[in-house]
Amino acid sequence: MTLWLLLQTTPDASVDWALFIGRFHPLLVHLPIGFLLAAGLLEAGRRWGSLSVERTTVGWLLLWSALGATVSCVAGYLLSLGGGYDTDILTEHQWQGIGVAVFSWLAWAVQADWTGQRLARLYLPLLTIALVLLGAAGHHGGSLTHGSDYLTQYAPQPIRTLAGAPDRPKSVVKPITDINQALVYAQIVDPILQSRCTQCHNAEKAKGGLRLDTPEQLKKGGEDGPVLLAGNSLKSAMVGRCLLPESDDDHMPPKGKPQLTESQLALLTWWIDQGASFDKRVADLPQPDKIRPALVSLAGNSPVDQEQPTAGSATSSPELTRPVPPANPQAVAALTKIGLLVLPLAAGHNQLEVSAVNTPTFSDAQAALLPALKDQLVWLKLGNTPITDASLTQIAQLSNLQKLHLEHTRITDTGLKSLASLPKLEYLNLYATDITDAGLTTIATLPALTSVYLWQTRVTPAGIAALQRTRPDLLISSGTDSRTLADFSKPEPTTTK
Amino acid sequence: MSDLQNQLHDDVHDQLSRRTFLGQTSAGLGTIALASLLNPTGLFDASAPADGPVIGKPHFPPKVKRVIYLFQSGAPSQLELFDYKPKLEAMWGQDLPESVRKGQRLTGMTAGQSRFPLAASRYKFAQYGPGQMWLSELLPHTQRIVGDLTFIRSMHTEAINHDPAITFFQTGSQQAGRPSFGSWVSYGLGSDNQNMPAFVVLLSKGRNGDQPLYAKLWSNGFLPSVHQGVVFRSGPDPVYYLNNPPGIDKTSRRRMLDYLGKLHQAQYKHVLDPEINSRMAQYEMAYRMQTSVPETMSLSKEPDYIFDMYGPESRKPGTFAANCLLARKLIEKDVKFVQLYHQGWDQHNNLPNDVKIQAKSVDQASAALVLDLKQRGLLDDTLVIWGGEFGRGCYSQGKLTHDDYGRDHHPRAFTVWMAGAGVKKGLVYGQTDEFGYNVVKDPVHVHDFQATVLHLMGIDHEKLTFKSQGRRYRLTDVHGKVVKPLLA
Repeated sequence: MTLWLLLQTTPDASVDWALFIGRFHPLLVHLPIGFLLAAGLLEAGRRWGSLSVERTTVGWLLLWSALGATVSCVAGYLLSLGGGYDTDILTEHQWQGIGVAVFSWLAWAVQADWTGQRLARLYLPLLTIALVLLGAAGHHGGSLTHGSDYLTQYAPQPIRTLAGAPDRPKSVVKPITDINQALVYAQIVDPILQSRCTQCHNAEKAKGGLRLDTPEQLKKGGEDGPVLLAGNSLKSAMVGRCLLPESDDDHMPPKGKPQLTESQLALLTWWIDQGASFDKRVADLPQPDKIRPALVSLAGNSPVDQEQPTAGSATSSPELTRPVPPANPQAVAALTKIGLLVLPLAAGHNQLEVSAVNTPTFSDAQAALLPALKDQLVWLKLGNTPITDASLTQIAQLSNLQKLHLEHTRITDTGLKSLASLPKLEYLNLYATDITDAGLTTIATLPALTSVYLWQTRVTPAGIAALQRTRPDLLISSGTDSRTLADFSKPEPTTTK
Repeated sequence: MSDLQNQLHDDVHDQLSRRTFLGQTSAGLGTIALASLLNPTGLFDASAPADGPVIGKPHFPPKVKRVIYLFQSGAPSQLELFDYKPKLEAMWGQDLPESVRKGQRLTGMTAGQSRFPLAASRYKFAQYGPGQMWLSELLPHTQRIVGDLTFIRSMHTEAINHDPAITFFQTGSQQAGRPSFGSWVSYGLGSDNQNMPAFVVLLSKGRNGDQPLYAKLWSNGFLPSVHQGVVFRSGPDPVYYLNNPPGIDKTSRRRMLDYLGKLHQAQYKHVLDPEINSRMAQYEMAYRMQTSVPETMSLSKEPDYIFDMYGPESRKPGTFAANCLLARKLIEKDVKFVQLYHQGWDQHNNLPNDVKIQAKSVDQASAALVLDLKQRGLLDDTLVIWGGEFGRGCYSQGKLTHDDYGRDHHPRAFTVWMAGAGVKKGLVYGQTDEFGYNVVKDPVHVHDFQATVLHLMGIDHEKLTFKSQGRRYRLTDVHGKVVKPLLA
């Protein structure tokens, strides 16, 4: 009674109180479920089995079922004041719940001693109705909490048809194969919303009047107004709310629910800032450096929240930050097993460096393991190993290779020819090899090459001069020749003006 | 055991058991970090902690894979070496105008002087290289490589005395206890060669009786101790106690380590101190270094022309020149951070004489190192840094004569050079006033310098943090910005 007064006198606090009590509904509701089912089972066992249970025992259970159902109904009503539920389902659930309470009371009453067993023949029908209503109310309660397609979502098609559910959409989200061709909304944004938001913002349970399950509903917003302002993520509530401290009452997703990861949030922000289009592909939108790692991590179905990469890059080469699929772990393991070091170039990127610094015995046969990483391998250090031209045919397949160390190896001009197929090679170290002027013709054809190291090879000054003429911008390092060296090593060179 | 001891033992044990629950998580991370340090290739392990003791990969693709820091301890005089000031010649012997100093603090060594007579360099300057850079005649070999160097003439620091200043350069804080630059790099990037430490230190001195060096300069501070700098010495025994004692062969050593490992593990389960894991990692590293280090540190296979290049001193173990040659060999083995310290630059008096000796002890080897890295294709991803903890003042400490003078500490402007990956070649950045006293253009603070080097290595200096005593620490504290104009 005091509570009732409280509810009447202080309207602001009343809603809080109502919801506070209302939220006990999911707890309370399981009490009558258990009691009533137990009563039904005991009654069945008593009548048709050989169970020796007193009638009064079942009666006692029915009394508690009725009490529990009544209290649950009150709590359920208070919970519904919070709103956000599908009204049709809610109404059905409400009356079914009340029905459970009423019929439990009736069933209890007709079998009780004080009614004199005059209506005893009504006992079984009343109990049966209560149980049937219990099932219906339970099902609708579940639909309110989890969504009406909760049961059927993963059901096989025949069962879905039987249940009257619509045909299952063909493959919920198409997996991303090429990130550049991925649809930003359908393949990136919507799956994020599905995983974190639509559990409460869907057709049946539109919390705050907001639905995030279709483009139309996203644009429409909720009862507090629009949540999406194309081009301005900071003013879009669907991002702004997520940025509030988790302890804030307005923070979304609510405290305790799975939160958006940094990269998910970054992707949403990026999508909104780029105009929140519903049909564009990744390649259609500008991709600031900041968002690239998050995009890359989507490509190979790797967990989105694995990395927290940083903006900026110390390097100017876009090759090193281009999205490539992640390396096959088995291919990596095969290399590490023989002692090669496989190092990531940077967090958030799948590019790799492979180094034989600890594998002085790395052989041509082992080089056959390298092409398995052809997409990822950009820096390769095979200097000071006994590899020969045979390895170069394998290396020639590493089309993303940018830096290649072959110093102190047994390669020759012949093998070098196969490297002509490396379109992105910028750095080539050939010092202390048997390369001659003949090899320089291959070097001249490497389109991306910016520096080549030829110290202690058999190239001639004339050959180098010719190469320099063909490729004026190429940095050709032939080391310190003996004359320069002798000059350099003089104790006091006379260079002062 | 007496009853009292039993009692104590039980108490300690109970406490540790209670702590087990709380400690498990962080210790677990420590173990993962250790594993990743030992096996940096475990990069496909998604469970590796983002904020654990080893990050293991750069934040973005790096330009610089390795650093050689030629630290000139004692503070070389920029006025005799790099920063040409004709005004000092014109005003030789006159007092430093108060409008320049503006009452800024001096050390106790000259604060009491009644006069501050301006002292010009006794050594001549001339212009060299494609950029026509001014350089002193004391650096005849550095003259040959100016085209590969970037000079920062506008470095400035906050400390005015050696120990806080060198600690500031190395750890980002004037007070001892923070991790060294190389330790941060080791923590942030791990090792590219599991047979070598990521952070190696080489020591030398140009003359006796100069400012001392302390192990705290290459200390790991609060980082796990696997990240501390390892001092290598020239000669047959580069690392103390690395070789097996007489009568112990490799097999016995291995068996001993295996058993010791089991004991350590038992002890770790008992007290959960992650430092036990660090210790185990270091024993294992030492075992692998038994073969890798003597091979790397042996100069016997170096041809004569290489020794000639680095200068006659390079044949003498323990000199700066020999250490430069070793630094190149360590870099060839993919050691991440090689830090040389060369003592002898603290020239408060008798500067003209001492600076000449000191410059001679470093000039040829420093230049040869850059050339040697270049011809081997290593300068493409190695950064060489040359500089001290502060500069020296433009007025004479003590009596000024044409042949003799001294210079006191000067933190407000000094010169550092860099060569190699990611930085512009042949650039002079920043400018000092005509007395070389204050920076007038493009100042570079020590934290900016640190942020820039980390940036070149692919590290966002604001994100390389370690939580200790309740807060997260950075090498750059809460300061530092990347000096973009230096970047190639």
